[in-house]
Amino acid sequence: MSIEQLELNPRIIKAVNNANIGVARDILKYSGPDLQRLTRLSASDVHHLQTAVAALFCKKTPVSALQLYRGECPEWDCGLRVSLGCPVLDGVLRGGLLPWGLTELAGPSGAGKSQLAMQLCLSVQYPVQYGGLGSGALYICTEDSFPIRRLKQLQNEQPSLRSDVPPDVVSSICFSDNIYVEHAADLGALMACVSQRVPVLLAQGRVRLLVVDSVAALFRSEFQADQGLERSRHLTAFATALHKLSASYQLPILCVNQVTDVMEGDSNHDAGLRPVDSKVVPALGMAWANQVMVRLMVTRLPGAVSMGTQSSARRRLEVVFAPHLARDSCLFGVWREGTRGLPSPPTQDTSS
Amino acid sequence: MKPVSASPLSPSVKVKLLNAGFLTSEELLQLKPLQLSKEGGLSLEEALEVQQILREGVDLPGEGGAGLGSTALELLQQEERSIVTFCSSLDAALGGGVPVGKTTELCGTPGMGKTQLCLQLCIDVQIPECFGGLGGEAVFVDTEGSLVVQRVADMAQAAVQHCCLQDQDAEQRDALKDFTTESLLGHLYLMRCHDYVELLAQVQLLPDFLVKNPKVRLLVIDSLAFPFRRHFEDLSVRTRLLSGLAQQLIRMASQHRVAVVWTNQMTSQLRGGQWELVPALGESWGHSATQRLLLHWSGGRRLASVFKSPSQSESSVAYSVTREGFRDAGPLASSPSGREQDSSSQSESKQDSSSQSGSKRPRTQEGQ
Repeated sequence: MSIEQLELNPRIIKAVNNANIGVARDILKYSGPDLQRLTRLSASDVHHLQTAVAALFCKKTPVSALQLYRGECPEWDCGLRVSLGCPVLDGVLRGGLLPWGLTELAGPSGAGKSQLAMQLCLSVQYPVQYGGLGSGALYICTEDSFPIRRLKQLQNEQPSLRSDVPPDVVSSICFSDNIYVEHAADLGALMACVSQRVPVLLAQGRVRLLVVDSVAALFRSEFQADQGLERSRHLTAFATALHKLSASYQLPILCVNQVTDVMEGDSNHDAGLRPVDSKVVPALGMAWANQVMVRLMVTRLPGAVSMGTQSSARRRLEVVFAPHLARDSCLFGVWREGTRGLPSPPTQDTSS
Repeated sequence: MKPVSASPLSPSVKVKLLNAGFLTSEELLQLKPLQLSKEGGLSLEEALEVQQILREGVDLPGEGGAGLGSTALELLQQEERSIVTFCSSLDAALGGGVPVGKTTELCGTPGMGKTQLCLQLCIDVQIPECFGGLGGEAVFVDTEGSLVVQRVADMAQAAVQHCCLQDQDAEQRDALKDFTTESLLGHLYLMRCHDYVELLAQVQLLPDFLVKNPKVRLLVIDSLAFPFRRHFEDLSVRTRLLSGLAQQLIRMASQHRVAVVWTNQMTSQLRGGQWELVPALGESWGHSATQRLLLHWSGGRRLASVFKSPSQSESSVAYSVTREGFRDAGPLASSPSGREQDSSSQSESKQDSSSQSGSKRPRTQEGQ
């Protein structure tokens, strides 16, 4: 955006050009007295200049919370949630995933993170009235290859998982056509994917959910223990890229994360970043935790649960922090048809 | 209402404007430059000059206005009120609440309740004066997308119920008629900034907004750290931008009589061989806020510590975040104040795991 396009007295524009400040946004980086010194304009001229430039970057008029509540600003908050495909799980999240921002799903291996992620990729494809967004998903794998057989099984079992949806709606969606899978073997590939390939799919409107499985894998493997600062920088760059995508397209992003053990010494250091009685904390430390808006943890518990003829290990989904959720939790199991929460009281057998 | 004939313009321009029918300077300022040049028969350059000269009569920031400054006695007599937080122990530690006319910083790790406290203040600033509030409005600048309007609506509803339980006389009952969830949401202005340039631009435009909306008594920036913790090639640029921003916020707080509250993140720093958690944005940033609050966990409870304040001593109080909003801590720290009505409504919603064992019972909550 060049300075000539501002609605200002030509005299001011000439002075700014003579001062060689650059593009319009650089003007905001200078204080009033600095600009007076550089352009030799009077204080009131500089004030007009700053106001005109600021108006360029803040085109939106402030809205009231009431307008947002009534759904009058869909570009800010469309009021939707992405269902997880199960009413019990959705209950913990008060409806589902927020359609913007970074949601993290952390847990030890085998807890069911990838299962939940795949289930989300299916449920986002349903129409809005059934808790989806009517669009596809992009799944970025950084660890193992994508579990395509399990996806096929989940797809075939959708009618039994989603009994709330009419069968003709379920059969009309071609699930695997709308899930795009990318593999990123190193950090460079991951950044390239996020900054180049993802925007293309988003611009075409084919994708309204991004899953990164997992964030920790590449960052933990490519940086040594003493390269903490370097790792923070790359992590911040990655998170910034994700936030920019999320803001431009109102895109929910689910990041799967690993966990590390809690050291005895710093029990207060990261106390807020994990559930109170947890022995593990999501990986990548404070730098990553500051970027995440909603943090969910899944853990595997001793014992098993049964539903009909099937039996599954007992697991728990817990909200660690979220701006709109209480620190709630529920038990769930991973079944043939997908991940299903257990309504209270759960049927348990006490066999360990 | 200054007449055009008395304004400091050149005579030829004055004649043209008077012939065109303009009577007061206000009329001249209300039009855009292009319109003014067309209707007044002036060139665009002349129209811009006219508007600029007339505007110079208005106070500009940094130009000093007409005041000579006041004595300390005058300042003392200008009692500025505070915004309550609905957590009585925190209000006591702050000397009444978050002070109007000053800047307050909230630091803490993610999930401590900084956004919750900010939202609670946005609601509490609107409490009518007959209930001990300020009857003002609030501006919330969101930089990280952590504002979920359903949560604000829940907190607003709880505040309305709290006040309804306390009405004692006709004046209060009257005030309650306008104190509804809708009115609370309607007087909370929201702005969204996606990066630090937008934030700087927004702060540049805020003084004009505050002049147009003189009832605003609270400005919240949540969070201020988030857009600035990007990679800056030159950290001194960031320091310069932050100090400029701090100046603007401090000036806004005192000139427009608003309480400015912002949230900061925590970062790990190596101090003497140990990793410690310190507020982000650097050492020099620490001087920007008048008052700093640190929200942290200690022994399974949430504590708010006042660790920088010119008037209050350093202290820590327990608090909790419930469905109703930011409140006193549960039964572990009972306070004999009127807030006990909140504790009773809290007993049903055991949503803060301030007790040692987290809530393991599966729970279905009502959906959206």
